[in-house]
Amino acid sequence: MTPPPGQLAPATRPSAKPAQPGADQSAPLVTGISGNVAERREGRLATFVRGRWIHTIPGRIRAYTAAILAALAVLLTVLTVAVGNARDSVQTIGHDAGPQVVATGTLYFALSDMDAQVSNILLMGRDHDLGIGYDATLRVYERRRAEAGAAAVQAAQLASRDADLRTTVQQVLQGLGRYEELVGRALLLDQQADHPAGRLPGQVVDAYRQATDLMRLELLPKAYNITLDSGANVRQAYETKRSAVLSGRAWVAVTGALVLLLMIAAQVYLARTFRRVLNPAMVLATVAAAVLAAVGTGLLTAQAGHIRTAKQDGFDSILALSRARAISHSAFADESRYLLDPGRADTYEQTYLDKSLSVLYPDLGTRPVVLENYYTGLDEQVGAYTPGGPVRFLGFFGDEARGIGRGGPEADALVRTLRSYRTVLDNDRRMRALAAGNDRPGAVDLRMGKSSSALRDFDAYDAALRGLTGVHQDVFDQAIDDADGGLRGWSALPPIAAAAIALLVLAGVRPRLAEFR
Amino acid sequence: MRATRTAAAVGVLTVLAGTSACGLDGSEPHTVARKHSLVIGVKEDQPMLGFKRGGTYEGFDVDVALYVAGRLGVPRDRVRFRTTNSSVRESALASGAVDMIFATYSITAKRKTQVTFGGPYYVAHQDTLVRADATSIGNVRDLKGKRICEVTGSNSWRRVVEERRIAARPVTAPTYGACMDDLAAGKLDAVSTDDLILAGFAAGRGVRIVNAPFTDEKYGVGLKKGDLEGCELVNRAITRMYQDGTAARLLDKWFGKSGLKLTTSVPQFEGCS
Repeated sequence: MTPPPGQLAPATRPSAKPAQPGADQSAPLVTGISGNVAERREGRLATFVRGRWIHTIPGRIRAYTAAILAALAVLLTVLTVAVGNARDSVQTIGHDAGPQVVATGTLYFALSDMDAQVSNILLMGRDHDLGIGYDATLRVYERRRAEAGAAAVQAAQLASRDADLRTTVQQVLQGLGRYEELVGRALLLDQQADHPAGRLPGQVVDAYRQATDLMRLELLPKAYNITLDSGANVRQAYETKRSAVLSGRAWVAVTGALVLLLMIAAQVYLARTFRRVLNPAMVLATVAAAVLAAVGTGLLTAQAGHIRTAKQDGFDSILALSRARAISHSAFADESRYLLDPGRADTYEQTYLDKSLSVLYPDLGTRPVVLENYYTGLDEQVGAYTPGGPVRFLGFFGDEARGIGRGGPEADALVRTLRSYRTVLDNDRRMRALAAGNDRPGAVDLRMGKSSSALRDFDAYDAALRGLTGVHQDVFDQAIDDADGGLRGWSALPPIAAAAIALLVLAGVRPRLAEFR
Repeated sequence: MRATRTAAAVGVLTVLAGTSACGLDGSEPHTVARKHSLVIGVKEDQPMLGFKRGGTYEGFDVDVALYVAGRLGVPRDRVRFRTTNSSVRESALASGAVDMIFATYSITAKRKTQVTFGGPYYVAHQDTLVRADATSIGNVRDLKGKRICEVTGSNSWRRVVEERRIAARPVTAPTYGACMDDLAAGKLDAVSTDDLILAGFAAGRGVRIVNAPFTDEKYGVGLKKGDLEGCELVNRAITRMYQDGTAARLLDKWFGKSGLKLTTSVPQFEGCS
């Protein structure tokens, strides 16, 4: 987080005990003759402790030099630590945990969509051409099953050091096995029943209820929590690393200023003592140190900005929108469930409303929160919305709308998404009107796209939403690229620059010291 | 010359001290994650959930609060409960009068703009309670023409009459306790509200929960807006509470005899924001 407090000591040491390194350096100059080593050490120590040397001109020069070199060493250390922190944070958010967390989001989506495909198959019954067709629906189910497996592997990797998270992942995998058994039974009963579309016999509905309850009440919440929990780790790493980079930046600025102050003080002393206006090597060293500190500070500022962009406009938005997408698919499946299980129609209508509210929550004022008012509230408030203007709705899209400017690809993608979302809800309204008017076959045909563009409209919404997520993915990739690019070369540059500055300082004071030989 | 140097050194030290102090203070001061003691807001009038009996609080909410506080490193003797009624929940969190709220506090989009919610630690559902001998009522639609309880200040009856458009006849009562008495006395046919609240009243009264839930009420842990770190820790505590069997045990302890179908699998968390 903040640089370790131990660094405070080296930073202040040059002014507190300036003499020690200078005394070491002076050894070969002062005592060039051979003799008893121990005696000579003692003599030197005594001289050092008496402290009269500091009042000599070479003593002063050496003290300045030592202080400058020590401060330079601290600057180098602080800069290296801060750049290391910046590198770590880019690695975590951009390359390791960040993308893995996003990948676990696929788990929720894939599981949810498996159950959606099952509900579609059951709804179509013997009418195998409904919707995208029986075989294609089964293929989607199999693909989602594979995606869920792959996402679970990612989740298991993320959970390797967290026992509770690992338990959750295991419970999801075990539950998935049970779910597949229950689905197998429901599909078998469904085939045997050979029923017309939308008219399921009781035992098929019962078998499906067991499967979908397991999925919706146990597996999906756990899958959702896995992404939230591992996302929390990324947030904590982000907060910690970003504040470390920022306080590292402050330390670089302060130690940089200290180096400069010492260099200027040394030059003023040299100029006064030797009556020379400029010491070219020292001037060069001062300029180089100023540039190093300034560029280092600038780099850390830029890195903190890149990380912030990647986290807030990238990672957070991608996660939120992928949740919105998964919830939308799950709500779309609630339409199928609403039609295939009339006994629970009220419940599935309520879950459809709840899910729609979490995606987009129009301000309904005092009107009761029911689907009918949702449709009108949605039309009013989304219809009145322009990017950059006031936002009256909450939910995932409300957050998104509040976070964007007046124009740009993000605003365009959001407007497309909102427009297609309204169409999806409009289809829902018509479907429920048919079902409520006892025209169940009509409602099934509408929902399955036989008499409407409901499936195409939902696909268009899904594509728009993926487009919007893609915009944030681009922002994320760009920020991580910038961060990686900015850090390139920063392992070697600080030590090389510090060594060059140190050499320039030594080159600057050497001729002056030589005058006293 | 020496004066200049000393001044410079002092200046540098001051700045350094300032920097490190900022670094320490800047890391989320208002979090329940690092508190020595906790003040927790609960209800005092909901049997089996949050109920005050002779100066001490008891119920499911209270037990869950103690478990979560324990996982945050605050033992029972450093937890203080405070009655927090529905109308003051947001302001009590904002002012710091309470650190956390466990009080049948439903997570809604609107409240999320003022409060950070951990959990939910349980998803309750609106359900219906009838006299044990009233077999004609099997779900909410059967309430058509029946007398249901309208508790002053509660929206539950609206969910039947306005949201479900079921022509039930609301009869007012001051509290759910009074509804129970009216139901027993035959002045009412049904009481419809959160199933856990119904279960709290149901035990030993000759009544029956119809087990036909028609809404989701996500009981969240109210935290001061922005306490993401505390919220994440609360969620981990709730995860553990379900994994180690404590949740199932507490649900059975408080609601096992009510005849209510209980969910013993961890709920879907809201996400900290």
